[in-house]
Amino acid sequence: MHSSYVIRRLLQIIPLFLAVMVVVFVLIHFIPGDPVSAILGDRATTENVARANRELGLDKPLIVQFGFFVNQVLHGNLGESINLKVPVLRLMLDRLPVTLFLDVYASVLGVVMAVPLAILAAVRRNTWVDSLIRAVFQVGLSLPGFYVALQLLTLLGARLGWFPIGGYGVTFGDHIYHMFLPALTLGLNLAAILVRTLRNSVIEVLTAEYVDFARAKGLRSRVIMTRHVLRNALIATVTLLGLNVGGLIGGAVITETVFAIPGVGKLMIDAIFGRDYPVIQGLTLVFAVLVSLVFLATDLIHARLDPRAELS
Amino acid sequence: MKRMTRAALALAATLSLGQALGVTRGGQMIFGRAADSLFLDPVLNDANLDIWILTNLYDTLLQPTADGKRVQPGLASRYTVSKDGKTMKLTLRPGIKFADGSPITSADVKWNLDRARNPDNGIWGYLIESIASVAASGNTVTITLKHPDPVLPSALAAFNTGIMPQKLFDATPGKNDAEKAKAFAEHPIGSGPFVLSEWKRGSYMVLKRNPYYWKMGEDKKALPYLDTLRFEILPDDNTRILKLQAGEIQGAEFIPLSRAPELKTDPKINMMLFPSTQVNSVFMNNRPKLKNGTANPLSDVRVRQALNYAVNRPALIQLVTFGAGKPMTSFMSSSTPLFDKTLKGFPYDPAKAKALLAAAGYANGIDVSIIVTSGSATGQALATTLQQMWSAVGVRLKIEQLDAATNTARYRANDFQMRASGWTDDLADPSEITSYFAVAGTTEAAHTGFSDPTIEKLFVQSQQETNKAKRAAQYKQIQTIFNNASPNIYLYETPYPVALAKFVKGFNQIPLGNNIFEATWLDK
Repeated sequence: MHSSYVIRRLLQIIPLFLAVMVVVFVLIHFIPGDPVSAILGDRATTENVARANRELGLDKPLIVQFGFFVNQVLHGNLGESINLKVPVLRLMLDRLPVTLFLDVYASVLGVVMAVPLAILAAVRRNTWVDSLIRAVFQVGLSLPGFYVALQLLTLLGARLGWFPIGGYGVTFGDHIYHMFLPALTLGLNLAAILVRTLRNSVIEVLTAEYVDFARAKGLRSRVIMTRHVLRNALIATVTLLGLNVGGLIGGAVITETVFAIPGVGKLMIDAIFGRDYPVIQGLTLVFAVLVSLVFLATDLIHARLDPRAELS
Repeated sequence: MKRMTRAALALAATLSLGQALGVTRGGQMIFGRAADSLFLDPVLNDANLDIWILTNLYDTLLQPTADGKRVQPGLASRYTVSKDGKTMKLTLRPGIKFADGSPITSADVKWNLDRARNPDNGIWGYLIESIASVAASGNTVTITLKHPDPVLPSALAAFNTGIMPQKLFDATPGKNDAEKAKAFAEHPIGSGPFVLSEWKRGSYMVLKRNPYYWKMGEDKKALPYLDTLRFEILPDDNTRILKLQAGEIQGAEFIPLSRAPELKTDPKINMMLFPSTQVNSVFMNNRPKLKNGTANPLSDVRVRQALNYAVNRPALIQLVTFGAGKPMTSFMSSSTPLFDKTLKGFPYDPAKAKALLAAAGYANGIDVSIIVTSGSATGQALATTLQQMWSAVGVRLKIEQLDAATNTARYRANDFQMRASGWTDDLADPSEITSYFAVAGTTEAAHTGFSDPTIEKLFVQSQQETNKAKRAAQYKQIQTIFNNASPNIYLYETPYPVALAKFVKGFNQIPLGNNIFEATWLDK
């Protein structure tokens, strides 16, 4: 249906990709500190550092290094991690699915919690039910992620023993079980954001004339809610969800650290602290593409929900 | 009946013998690590993350003793040094094998030592730079030295002389040594008590028992006792502790010292504080001018001494290490061989500190700055405590927080006035820390710019001095001169905090940091 639009949007990723390549390369070379000092540490001599720089090609002018990097990327090679001495692509293929799994899981939990509660809060607006729901999520939103994570771990993991303390597991069932608490940590935060918006949208739509008309037609309230209210109220929420899921990619560092999940968030932070240029560059490029894809998907869902939205 | 009684008696005797020997074989131990290893090559690695577990994979010719102060036989059952001190002969144990069952030969040893001393390979070659050549014949390895070297036995017990199989390494794909090393380190076959079986980076590492390991256990069978040793990477301190308390893991390293007292009261946990060579000091820039051209009061020895006298170490230890530290009295740790026990260090004496500052012309105090690593709770606590202590004598300390890479880069460029730094020895010998802290050498005495002609001379002599008493006297003098010149601020020694499930026995983290799992067993 919107194939030309999709192709156009996908093509737009190319200049974005190039821009990200330049910006990331320039930025990481501007930060003080360098990978060789970071890995060789305090004791390395000037000769040690010079030799390592030579071996890694870091003694060459920046423009030459950039040319080398672009050439590599164009050949589908993201280079090799300076600290871990393995190809960046392999690290990513190992870790990215873990993070994506966590993000999807967290989004599902977030939506599953947010949608019914937001509707309930809207339908019972300005009652104690509404206040309670809003208050609980407001508190949830204010608490830092690491605190929520630790409380969940201590209570549901250590005290009650319902969930394992951290890790990722081996099978799919394992993943669902191991990742429940981290997904819940992220999901709670997401739900807190979604509940507020969705509640307001539902209230707004509930007072719209077409809803009155639907009621006058004698439609059952469940049908009114799903077909008319929710569908319209979700439009703004989907955009918000898209933005937040985009942010989760690579942004779930604290959750990944606390729950010992081998995802890309932790990899990225370690790479930044270790000035592992190839890993930072490679991950940023992949993040950029993934976020673009999430935004594209958001726009497509948006268009699907709201036929008035023009995809142009 | 009689036969049964005899059998029962025999069984009872065997059981009680087993108990007397006190070990149970087999099983898996899961050990929570704070961070994953980076590169499992004995020669080309750079970090303690690798060093402290490498000897589980690669055995060395000699080994450090459990107290980290001497060496004991390893793959070599004995060694002799010629009268002139310039030749060392090592005899390999008969029948030693790599983890794939192939024999460890003297040719392998020669190849490893040559690789380790090649200045193009990594940063550790200097530890065995006295070696002129290595010859292999039968089960004997002969090392010819450029000069007598009292440090060599310790160096032959250090990680970078770990023995790898030459044939397998050579057969590994790669254009040069560095490339082969990367490929080999993915699936290393070594000579240590364990062999790597699986490694998922950033997540876990599984080591299996090396069935060919030479060392015997208490039960007269080959070590190690454990079948499997699994490292899980658990970067968050609380998660590591929770997992241990929940029984999901059986050991956890780098327990924050703030949590150690609480874990000591846990009946299911042995909270170990292993003696270490870890010293924590503040390096001072001793140069008359700082990198930015401003005058540096720390170039005056009286100011440096004043700062040392103005530190209340017992209070600092309570505040920063929750009582787990020990005041330093020399630049080296009290676990380092030839540490001078008679030194008194710098007692807390604010009046003396003020007098010294006044004598140096700074009666109104001085402004100084320190760089610490951001995000480090210990670094932060240390700097703010020093700030308070020094303010009592008129020293105004500015704290500059930098991320680790920037901190290192500034330090390496001598662009700092003070810097909080830690150190652990890799050798059972004082020469390593002395060459870095006290000798100008290649790093300008830990980038402080300090230099003392007598220390320089004594150090060169001590590196060739095979007479133990004479060498001890040289080190005594070095430490005394260093104390007086006071280029650093001594703070405290800290132990290695490791928490173990009560039933874990025989684990040791030696003062050099090596985690020794070969004799670890599970008593359950």
